[in-house]
Amino acid sequence: MEIAYYPGCSLHASSQLYDIQNKLVFKKLNVDLREIEDWNCCGATSASKTNDFLSVALPARNLGIADATGLSEILIPCSSCYSRTLVSQRRLQEDTPLRDTINEELSHKVKGKIKVSSILEVLLPRVASGELSEKATRKLEGLKPACYYGCLLTRFPSDVVVPDDVENPQGMETVCKALGAEPIDWGYKTDCCGASAAVNDADVSLGLMAKILKDAVARGANCFVTTCPMCQFNVDAYQDQVAEKYGIRERLPVYFITELMGIAMGMSPQAMQVDRHFVDSMRLLKELKLI
Amino acid sequence: MPDKSSMLEPDISQDLVQEVMDRSGQNLLTCYQCRRCAAGCPVGDVTGVTPDRLIRMILFGEREDALRNLLVWECVACYTCGTRCPNNIQTARITETLKQMSKEAHMEPLTPKIGFFHDAFMTSASNAGRLNELEFMRLYETKSLQTELKERGVKGAMQEVKSQGKLGIAMMKKKRMHFGSEKVKGIAEVKALCKKAKSR
Repeated sequence: MEIAYYPGCSLHASSQLYDIQNKLVFKKLNVDLREIEDWNCCGATSASKTNDFLSVALPARNLGIADATGLSEILIPCSSCYSRTLVSQRRLQEDTPLRDTINEELSHKVKGKIKVSSILEVLLPRVASGELSEKATRKLEGLKPACYYGCLLTRFPSDVVVPDDVENPQGMETVCKALGAEPIDWGYKTDCCGASAAVNDADVSLGLMAKILKDAVARGANCFVTTCPMCQFNVDAYQDQVAEKYGIRERLPVYFITELMGIAMGMSPQAMQVDRHFVDSMRLLKELKLI
Repeated sequence: MPDKSSMLEPDISQDLVQEVMDRSGQNLLTCYQCRRCAAGCPVGDVTGVTPDRLIRMILFGEREDALRNLLVWECVACYTCGTRCPNNIQTARITETLKQMSKEAHMEPLTPKIGFFHDAFMTSASNAGRLNELEFMRLYETKSLQTELKERGVKGAMQEVKSQGKLGIAMMKKKRMHFGSEKVKGIAEVKALCKKAKSR
Protein backbone atom coordinates (compact mmCIF):
# COMPACT_ATOMS: atom_id res chain seq x y z
CA MET A 1 0.00 0.00 0.00
CA GLU A 2 1.24 3.46 -0.87
CA ILE A 3 0.52 6.70 0.89
CA ALA A 4 1.85 10.17 0.29
CA TYR A 5 4.38 11.51 2.78
CA TYR A 6 5.36 15.01 3.84
CA PRO A 7 8.42 15.04 6.10
CA GLY A 8 8.70 18.80 6.63
CA CYS A 9 11.88 20.78 7.27
CA SER A 10 12.89 19.32 10.64
CA LEU A 11 12.73 15.72 9.40
CA HIS A 12 15.27 16.73 6.77
CA ALA A 13 17.48 18.48 9.30
CA SER A 14 17.74 18.19 13.10
CA SER A 15 15.22 15.33 13.30
CA GLN A 16 16.44 13.41 10.29
CA LEU A 17 16.49 10.25 12.43
CA TYR A 18 12.68 10.43 12.59
CA ASP A 19 12.47 10.50 8.78
CA ILE A 20 14.69 7.41 8.55
CA GLN A 21 12.68 5.63 11.26
CA ASN A 22 9.36 6.43 9.59
CA LYS A 23 10.46 5.01 6.25
CA LEU A 24 11.89 1.80 7.73
CA VAL A 25 9.08 1.14 10.18
CA PHE A 26 6.25 1.73 7.73
CA LYS A 27 7.99 -0.46 5.18
CA LYS A 28 7.84 -3.26 7.74
CA LEU A 29 4.10 -2.61 7.98
CA ASN A 30 3.81 -2.86 4.18
CA VAL A 31 3.21 0.84 3.74
CA ASP A 32 5.33 2.59 1.14
CA LEU A 33 5.78 6.24 1.99
CA ARG A 34 5.95 8.28 -1.19
CA GLU A 35 7.53 11.62 -0.36
CA ILE A 36 5.70 14.30 -2.33
CA GLU A 37 7.77 16.02 -4.98
CA ASP A 38 9.42 19.38 -4.36
CA TRP A 39 7.50 20.21 -1.17
CA ASN A 40 8.06 23.52 0.62
CA CYS A 41 8.15 24.61 4.23
CA CYS A 42 4.65 24.76 5.71
CA GLY A 43 5.47 27.89 7.70
CA ALA A 44 4.96 26.09 11.02
CA THR A 45 4.03 28.40 13.89
CA SER A 46 5.97 31.34 12.47
CA ALA A 47 3.74 31.89 9.44
CA SER A 48 0.57 32.22 11.48
CA LYS A 49 2.31 34.67 13.79
CA THR A 50 3.54 36.88 10.96
CA ASN A 51 1.18 36.60 8.00
CA ASP A 52 -2.26 34.99 7.87
CA PHE A 53 -2.24 34.62 4.08
CA LEU A 54 1.08 32.76 4.02
CA SER A 55 0.01 30.53 6.89
CA VAL A 56 -2.65 29.14 4.55
CA ALA A 57 -0.78 29.57 1.27
CA LEU A 58 2.45 27.75 2.13
CA PRO A 59 0.75 24.48 3.14
CA ALA A 60 -1.62 24.99 0.19
CA ARG A 61 1.20 24.49 -2.31
CA ASN A 62 1.98 21.15 -0.65
CA LEU A 63 -1.69 20.18 -0.70
CA GLY A 64 -1.78 20.89 -4.43
CA ILE A 65 1.25 18.66 -4.98
CA ALA A 66 -0.29 15.98 -2.76
CA ASP A 67 -3.66 16.13 -4.53
CA ALA A 68 -1.86 15.69 -7.85
CA THR A 69 -0.38 12.33 -6.76
CA GLY A 70 -3.84 10.80 -6.84
CA LEU A 71 -3.13 9.07 -3.56
CA SER A 72 -5.90 9.08 -0.97
CA GLU A 73 -3.91 9.88 2.16
CA ILE A 74 -0.87 11.89 3.18
CA LEU A 75 1.11 11.13 6.32
CA ILE A 76 2.60 14.14 8.10
CA PRO A 77 4.59 13.00 11.18
CA CYS A 78 5.48 16.47 12.52
CA SER A 79 2.61 17.78 14.66
CA SER A 80 3.16 21.37 13.59
CA CYS A 81 3.26 20.59 9.86
CA TYR A 82 0.25 18.29 10.31
CA SER A 83 -1.70 20.95 12.19
CA ARG A 84 -0.89 23.73 9.73
CA THR A 85 -1.67 21.58 6.69
CA LEU A 86 -4.96 20.31 8.12
CA VAL A 87 -6.06 23.80 9.14
CA SER A 88 -5.03 25.21 5.75
CA GLN A 89 -7.04 22.53 3.96
CA ARG A 90 -10.05 23.43 6.07
CA ARG A 91 -9.67 27.17 5.40
CA LEU A 92 -9.35 26.52 1.67
CA GLN A 93 -12.57 24.50 1.78
CA GLU A 94 -14.44 27.26 3.61
CA ASP A 95 -13.06 30.23 1.68
CA THR A 96 -13.33 29.78 -2.08
CA PRO A 97 -11.97 33.25 -3.02
CA LEU A 98 -8.91 32.56 -0.85
CA ARG A 99 -8.42 29.17 -2.47
CA ASP A 100 -8.76 30.66 -5.94
CA THR A 101 -6.27 33.44 -5.31
CA ILE A 102 -3.73 30.95 -3.97
CA ASN A 103 -4.35 28.48 -6.80
CA GLU A 104 -3.56 31.25 -9.30
CA GLU A 105 0.10 31.00 -8.30
CA LEU A 106 0.30 27.19 -8.24
CA SER A 107 1.01 24.78 -11.07
CA HIS A 108 -0.52 22.01 -8.95
CA LYS A 109 -3.88 23.42 -7.88
CA VAL A 110 -5.42 22.52 -4.54
CA LYS A 111 -8.47 20.33 -4.98
CA GLY A 112 -8.87 19.45 -1.31
CA LYS A 113 -9.34 15.72 -1.88
CA ILE A 114 -6.47 14.10 -0.01
CA LYS A 115 -6.88 13.02 3.62
CA VAL A 116 -4.29 14.67 5.87
CA SER A 117 -3.24 12.18 8.55
CA SER A 118 -1.13 12.30 11.67
CA ILE A 119 1.16 9.36 12.39
CA LEU A 120 -1.21 7.96 15.00
CA GLU A 121 -4.09 7.97 12.54
CA VAL A 122 -2.06 5.83 10.16
CA LEU A 123 -0.82 3.51 12.93
CA LEU A 124 -3.99 2.86 14.89
CA PRO A 125 -5.81 0.77 12.25
CA ARG A 126 -2.71 -1.43 12.16
CA VAL A 127 -2.93 -1.83 15.92
CA ALA A 128 -6.63 -2.64 15.80
CA SER A 129 -6.07 -5.32 13.16
CA GLY A 130 -3.44 -6.98 15.34
CA GLU A 131 -0.74 -6.46 12.70
CA LEU A 132 1.53 -4.34 14.86
CA SER A 133 1.30 -6.71 17.83
CA GLU A 134 2.07 -9.64 15.57
CA LYS A 135 5.13 -7.97 14.06
CA ALA A 136 6.36 -6.68 17.42
CA THR A 137 8.17 -9.88 18.23
CA ARG A 138 10.42 -8.28 20.83
CA LYS A 139 7.98 -7.01 23.43
CA LEU A 140 9.15 -3.87 25.24
CA GLU A 141 8.61 -5.20 28.75
CA GLY A 142 9.71 -2.92 31.54
CA LEU A 143 9.48 0.17 29.37
CA LYS A 144 7.22 2.64 31.15
CA PRO A 145 6.78 5.57 28.79
CA ALA A 146 5.07 8.84 29.56
CA CYS A 147 3.32 9.42 26.22
CA TYR A 148 3.84 13.08 25.39
CA TYR A 149 1.47 14.48 22.80
CA GLY A 150 2.29 18.16 23.11
CA CYS A 151 -0.11 20.83 21.88
CA LEU A 152 -0.72 20.38 18.24
CA LEU A 153 -1.90 16.81 17.87
CA THR A 154 -5.18 17.39 19.66
CA ARG A 155 -5.75 21.16 19.72
CA PHE A 156 -6.49 23.28 16.67
CA PRO A 157 -7.43 26.91 16.02
CA SER A 158 -10.39 25.91 13.89
CA ASP A 159 -13.07 23.26 13.64
CA VAL A 160 -11.39 20.12 12.43
CA VAL A 161 -12.22 16.54 13.33
CA VAL A 162 -9.93 15.46 16.16
CA PRO A 163 -9.60 11.68 16.13
CA ASP A 164 -8.68 11.32 19.80
CA ASP A 165 -9.74 12.67 23.16
CA VAL A 166 -8.61 16.27 23.35
CA GLU A 167 -7.70 16.38 27.06
CA ASN A 168 -6.69 12.75 27.58
CA PRO A 169 -5.68 11.20 24.25
CA GLN A 170 -4.90 7.50 24.15
CA GLY A 171 -3.50 6.93 20.66
CA MET A 172 0.14 6.64 21.66
CA GLU A 173 -0.69 4.53 24.70
CA THR A 174 -2.58 2.13 22.41
CA VAL A 175 0.45 1.78 20.16
CA CYS A 176 2.79 1.35 23.14
CA LYS A 177 0.63 -1.39 24.63
CA ALA A 178 0.66 -3.24 21.32
CA LEU A 179 4.45 -3.16 21.58
CA GLY A 180 4.29 -4.67 25.06
CA ALA A 181 5.32 -1.48 26.85
CA GLU A 182 3.56 -0.23 29.98
CA PRO A 183 2.63 3.43 29.39
CA ILE A 184 1.89 5.34 32.58
CA ASP A 185 -1.07 7.55 33.29
CA TRP A 186 -0.01 11.14 33.87
CA GLY A 187 -1.28 14.70 33.93
CA TYR A 188 0.90 16.60 31.46
CA LYS A 189 0.50 14.62 28.29
CA THR A 190 -0.86 17.53 26.27
CA ASP A 191 0.88 20.34 28.12
CA CYS A 192 2.97 22.83 26.22
CA CYS A 193 6.75 22.64 26.44
CA GLY A 194 7.04 26.18 25.09
CA ALA A 195 8.15 25.07 21.63
CA SER A 196 10.06 27.98 20.04
CA ALA A 197 10.13 29.69 23.44
CA ALA A 198 12.98 27.31 24.32
CA VAL A 199 15.08 29.59 22.11
CA ASN A 200 13.31 32.96 22.21
CA ASP A 201 11.81 32.97 25.76
CA ALA A 202 13.96 30.45 27.58
CA ASP A 203 12.95 31.03 31.22
CA VAL A 204 9.28 30.50 30.43
CA SER A 205 9.97 27.40 28.39
CA LEU A 206 12.27 25.78 30.93
CA GLY A 207 9.55 26.27 33.56
CA LEU A 208 7.01 24.52 31.38
CA MET A 209 9.37 21.66 30.61
CA ALA A 210 10.12 21.28 34.32
CA LYS A 211 6.44 20.64 35.08
CA ILE A 212 6.33 17.99 32.37
CA LEU A 213 9.50 16.28 33.57
CA LYS A 214 8.52 16.41 37.25
CA ASP A 215 5.14 14.83 36.69
CA ALA A 216 6.50 12.05 34.49
CA VAL A 217 9.16 11.23 37.08
CA ALA A 218 6.67 11.36 39.95
CA ARG A 219 4.35 8.93 38.14
CA GLY A 220 7.07 6.36 37.64
CA ALA A 221 7.88 6.82 33.96
CA ASN A 222 11.32 5.67 32.85
CA CYS A 223 11.15 7.43 29.48
CA PHE A 224 9.12 9.72 27.27
CA VAL A 225 7.71 8.80 23.90
CA THR A 226 6.50 11.35 21.40
CA THR A 227 5.47 11.77 17.78
CA CYS A 228 6.53 15.37 17.22
CA PRO A 229 10.10 16.48 16.35
CA MET A 230 9.67 19.79 18.19
CA CYS A 231 8.46 18.11 21.39
CA GLN A 232 11.19 15.50 21.08
CA PHE A 233 13.95 18.02 20.54
CA ASN A 234 12.91 20.29 23.40
CA VAL A 235 12.34 17.66 26.07
CA ASP A 236 15.56 15.90 24.98
CA ALA A 237 18.03 18.71 24.27
CA TYR A 238 17.04 20.93 27.19
CA GLN A 239 16.50 18.20 29.78
CA ASP A 240 19.89 18.64 31.46
CA GLN A 241 19.35 22.39 31.70
CA VAL A 242 15.81 21.95 33.08
CA ALA A 243 16.87 19.27 35.54
CA GLU A 244 19.79 21.33 36.85
CA LYS A 245 17.74 24.49 37.21
CA TYR A 246 14.84 22.76 38.95
CA GLY A 247 16.75 20.20 40.98
CA ILE A 248 15.55 17.05 39.22
CA ARG A 249 17.90 14.11 39.55
CA GLU A 250 16.36 11.74 37.05
CA ARG A 251 16.88 11.77 33.30
CA LEU A 252 14.29 10.26 31.02
CA PRO A 253 15.27 9.32 27.46
CA VAL A 254 12.91 10.78 24.88
CA TYR A 255 12.04 8.30 22.14
CA PHE A 256 10.13 8.79 18.94
CA ILE A 257 7.25 6.34 18.66
CA THR A 258 8.87 4.95 15.52
CA GLU A 259 12.11 3.92 17.19
CA LEU A 260 10.21 1.96 19.84
CA MET A 261 8.24 0.32 17.06
CA GLY A 262 11.43 -0.45 15.19
CA ILE A 263 13.13 -2.02 18.19
CA ALA A 264 10.01 -4.04 18.99
CA MET A 265 9.88 -5.28 15.40
CA GLY A 266 13.44 -6.53 15.69
CA MET A 267 15.37 -3.69 14.06
CA SER A 268 18.71 -2.72 15.49
CA PRO A 269 19.25 0.42 17.53
CA GLN A 270 21.82 1.41 14.90
CA ALA A 271 19.23 1.22 12.14
CA MET A 272 16.87 3.22 14.34
CA GLN A 273 19.65 5.73 15.11
CA VAL A 274 18.92 5.58 18.85
CA ASP A 275 22.35 7.13 19.54
CA ARG A 276 21.21 10.47 18.11
CA HIS A 277 19.66 11.65 21.36
CA PHE A 278 20.92 14.11 23.94
CA VAL A 279 19.73 12.15 26.98
CA ASP A 280 21.33 8.69 26.80
CA SER A 281 18.69 6.57 25.13
CA MET A 282 20.61 3.34 24.79
CA ARG A 283 21.14 2.69 28.48
CA LEU A 284 17.52 2.04 29.42
CA LEU A 285 17.06 -0.34 26.48
CA LYS A 286 20.21 -2.21 27.53
CA GLU A 287 19.10 -2.35 31.18
CA LEU A 288 15.77 -3.80 30.17
CA LYS A 289 17.61 -6.29 27.93
CA LEU A 290 15.68 -5.03 24.91
CA ILE A 291 18.86 -4.56 22.90
CA MET B 1 -9.58 58.57 39.35
CA PRO B 2 -12.33 56.44 37.79
CA ASP B 3 -10.95 53.10 36.66
CA LYS B 4 -10.72 52.36 32.96
CA SER B 5 -13.42 49.71 32.94
CA SER B 6 -16.05 52.26 33.84
CA MET B 7 -15.13 54.45 30.91
CA LEU B 8 -16.59 52.36 28.12
CA GLU B 9 -16.75 54.39 24.94
CA PRO B 10 -18.46 52.39 22.20
CA ASP B 11 -17.41 54.78 19.42
CA ILE B 12 -13.78 54.12 20.19
CA SER B 13 -14.01 50.42 21.03
CA GLN B 14 -16.10 49.44 18.00
CA ASP B 15 -13.26 50.02 15.51
CA LEU B 16 -10.79 47.92 17.43
CA VAL B 17 -13.26 45.14 18.15
CA GLN B 18 -14.34 44.97 14.52
CA GLU B 19 -10.78 44.94 13.23
CA VAL B 20 -9.67 42.17 15.58
CA MET B 21 -12.81 40.13 14.93
CA ASP B 22 -12.48 40.43 11.15
CA ARG B 23 -8.81 39.56 11.03
CA SER B 24 -8.79 36.79 13.64
CA GLY B 25 -12.18 35.33 12.70
CA GLN B 26 -13.09 35.14 16.39
CA ASN B 27 -16.33 36.40 17.90
CA LEU B 28 -15.06 38.23 20.97
CA LEU B 29 -18.52 39.48 21.82
CA THR B 30 -19.51 36.05 23.12
CA CYS B 31 -16.92 36.11 25.91
CA TYR B 32 -18.62 36.03 29.29
CA GLN B 33 -15.42 35.98 31.35
CA CYS B 34 -15.70 32.45 32.71
CA ARG B 35 -11.87 32.26 32.77
CA ARG B 36 -11.50 28.64 31.74
CA CYS B 37 -8.92 30.03 29.33
CA ALA B 38 -6.99 31.73 32.09
CA ALA B 39 -6.78 28.53 34.11
CA GLY B 40 -5.10 26.64 31.28
CA CYS B 41 -2.82 29.31 29.84
CA PRO B 42 0.79 28.13 30.20
CA VAL B 43 2.16 31.68 30.18
CA GLY B 44 -0.65 33.33 32.14
CA ASP B 45 1.17 33.75 35.43
CA VAL B 46 4.28 35.05 33.69
CA THR B 47 2.52 37.62 31.54
CA GLY B 48 -0.05 38.77 34.08
CA VAL B 49 -2.45 39.09 31.15
CA THR B 50 -4.59 36.05 30.58
CA PRO B 51 -6.75 35.50 27.47
CA ASP B 52 -9.89 36.76 29.21
CA ARG B 53 -8.18 40.02 30.17
CA LEU B 54 -6.87 40.50 26.67
CA ILE B 55 -10.36 40.08 25.26
CA ARG B 56 -11.66 42.55 27.84
CA MET B 57 -9.07 45.12 26.80
CA ILE B 58 -10.14 44.81 23.19
CA LEU B 59 -13.83 45.05 24.06
CA PHE B 60 -13.13 48.29 25.91
CA GLY B 61 -11.25 49.67 22.93
CA GLU B 62 -7.95 49.91 24.78
CA ARG B 63 -5.88 49.70 21.61
CA GLU B 64 -2.55 50.65 23.14
CA ASP B 65 -2.87 48.12 25.97
CA ALA B 66 -4.22 45.41 23.70
CA LEU B 67 -1.32 45.71 21.28
CA ARG B 68 1.36 46.26 23.86
CA ASN B 69 1.18 43.62 26.56
CA LEU B 70 3.22 40.53 27.32
CA LEU B 71 0.56 38.03 26.27
CA VAL B 72 0.53 39.24 22.67
CA TRP B 73 4.11 38.06 22.18
CA GLU B 74 4.56 35.38 24.81
CA CYS B 75 1.46 33.47 23.76
CA VAL B 76 2.89 30.25 22.37
CA ALA B 77 -0.32 29.36 20.48
CA CYS B 78 -0.83 26.10 22.36
CA TYR B 79 -4.58 26.48 21.67
CA THR B 80 -5.52 25.39 25.20
CA CYS B 81 -7.68 28.48 25.73
CA GLY B 82 -9.63 28.00 22.52
CA THR B 83 -10.13 24.30 23.10
CA ARG B 84 -11.66 24.91 26.53
CA CYS B 85 -13.65 28.06 25.76
CA PRO B 86 -17.37 27.31 25.95
CA ASN B 87 -17.88 29.82 23.13
CA ASN B 88 -15.03 28.49 21.02
CA ILE B 89 -13.06 31.74 21.04
CA GLN B 90 -9.56 30.91 19.84
CA THR B 91 -7.55 33.52 21.68
CA ALA B 92 -4.33 32.25 20.13
CA ARG B 93 -5.77 33.46 16.82
CA ILE B 94 -6.32 36.82 18.50
CA THR B 95 -2.74 37.05 19.74
CA GLU B 96 -1.50 36.02 16.29
CA THR B 97 -3.58 38.87 14.84
CA LEU B 98 -2.37 41.35 17.46
CA LYS B 99 1.28 40.40 16.77
CA GLN B 100 0.68 41.35 13.14
CA MET B 101 -1.27 44.51 14.00
CA SER B 102 1.38 45.70 16.44
CA LYS B 103 4.05 45.18 13.81
CA GLU B 104 2.01 47.15 11.28
CA ALA B 105 1.74 49.92 13.86
CA HIS B 106 5.55 49.83 14.17
CA MET B 107 5.35 49.00 17.86
CA GLU B 108 8.44 47.49 19.42
CA PRO B 109 7.44 44.14 20.99
CA LEU B 110 7.92 43.94 24.73
CA THR B 111 9.87 40.76 24.04
CA PRO B 112 11.82 41.60 20.84
CA LYS B 113 13.56 38.20 20.61
CA ILE B 114 10.26 36.49 19.91
CA GLY B 115 9.61 38.79 16.98
CA PHE B 116 13.12 38.22 15.59
CA PHE B 117 12.68 34.47 15.83
CA HIS B 118 9.57 34.31 13.68
CA ASP B 119 10.89 36.87 11.18
CA ALA B 120 14.14 34.93 10.83
CA PHE B 121 12.21 31.69 10.34
CA MET B 122 10.09 33.18 7.58
CA THR B 123 13.08 34.80 5.87
CA SER B 124 15.00 31.56 5.76
CA ALA B 125 11.99 29.44 4.78
CA SER B 126 11.09 31.73 1.90
CA ASN B 127 14.69 32.08 0.66
CA ALA B 128 15.03 28.55 -0.66
CA GLY B 129 11.55 27.25 0.09
CA ARG B 130 12.70 25.04 2.97
CA LEU B 131 14.04 26.14 6.30
CA ASN B 132 17.81 26.17 6.56
CA GLU B 133 18.36 25.71 10.29
CA LEU B 134 21.85 27.23 10.40
CA GLU B 135 20.85 30.23 8.29
CA PHE B 136 17.75 30.73 10.41
CA MET B 137 19.70 30.63 13.68
CA ARG B 138 22.32 32.98 12.28
CA LEU B 139 19.64 35.50 11.28
CA TYR B 140 18.00 35.15 14.67
CA GLU B 141 21.17 35.41 16.74
CA THR B 142 22.38 38.48 14.84
CA LYS B 143 19.32 40.32 16.10
CA SER B 144 19.01 38.57 19.44
CA LEU B 145 22.56 39.36 20.50
CA GLN B 146 21.99 43.03 19.75
CA THR B 147 19.01 42.95 22.11
CA GLU B 148 21.02 41.16 24.77
CA LEU B 149 23.78 43.76 24.50
CA LYS B 150 21.26 46.56 24.81
CA GLU B 151 19.27 45.06 27.67
CA ARG B 152 21.84 43.05 29.61
CA GLY B 153 25.19 44.35 28.37
CA VAL B 154 28.18 42.23 27.38
CA LYS B 155 27.42 39.74 30.19
CA GLY B 156 23.97 39.03 28.75
CA ALA B 157 25.32 38.66 25.24
CA MET B 158 28.08 36.30 26.36
CA GLN B 159 25.52 34.18 28.23
CA GLU B 160 23.54 33.82 25.02
CA VAL B 161 26.65 32.94 23.01
CA LYS B 162 27.62 30.39 25.66
CA SER B 163 24.26 28.67 25.91
CA GLN B 164 23.70 28.56 22.15
CA GLY B 165 27.26 27.44 21.59
CA LYS B 166 26.79 24.64 24.11
CA LEU B 167 23.63 23.52 22.36
CA GLY B 168 25.36 23.68 18.99
CA ILE B 169 28.23 21.50 20.17
CA ALA B 170 25.82 18.99 21.73
CA MET B 171 23.91 18.88 18.46
CA MET B 172 27.07 18.18 16.54
CA LYS B 173 28.10 15.43 18.97
CA LYS B 174 24.68 13.79 18.75
CA LYS B 175 24.47 14.12 14.97
CA ARG B 176 21.46 16.42 15.13
CA MET B 177 23.22 19.37 13.51
CA HIS B 178 22.37 19.67 9.86
CA PHE B 179 24.85 21.46 7.65
CA GLY B 180 23.18 21.02 4.28
CA SER B 181 20.57 23.17 2.62
CA GLU B 182 17.75 22.24 0.29
CA LYS B 183 16.27 24.31 -2.47
CA VAL B 184 12.75 24.00 -3.79
CA LYS B 185 12.68 23.87 -7.60
CA GLY B 186 9.31 25.58 -7.68
CA ILE B 187 10.65 28.44 -5.58
CA ALA B 188 9.09 30.92 -7.99
CA GLU B 189 5.67 29.80 -6.79
CA VAL B 190 6.67 30.26 -3.16
CA LYS B 191 8.03 33.73 -3.91
CA ALA B 192 4.86 34.60 -5.84
CA LEU B 193 2.81 33.67 -2.79
CA CYS B 194 5.07 35.78 -0.57
CA LYS B 195 4.64 38.71 -2.95
CA LYS B 196 0.88 38.28 -2.94
CA ALA B 197 0.93 38.17 0.86
CA LYS B 198 2.67 41.55 1.01
CA SER B 199 0.13 43.23 -1.27
CA ARG B 200 -2.90 42.14 0.76
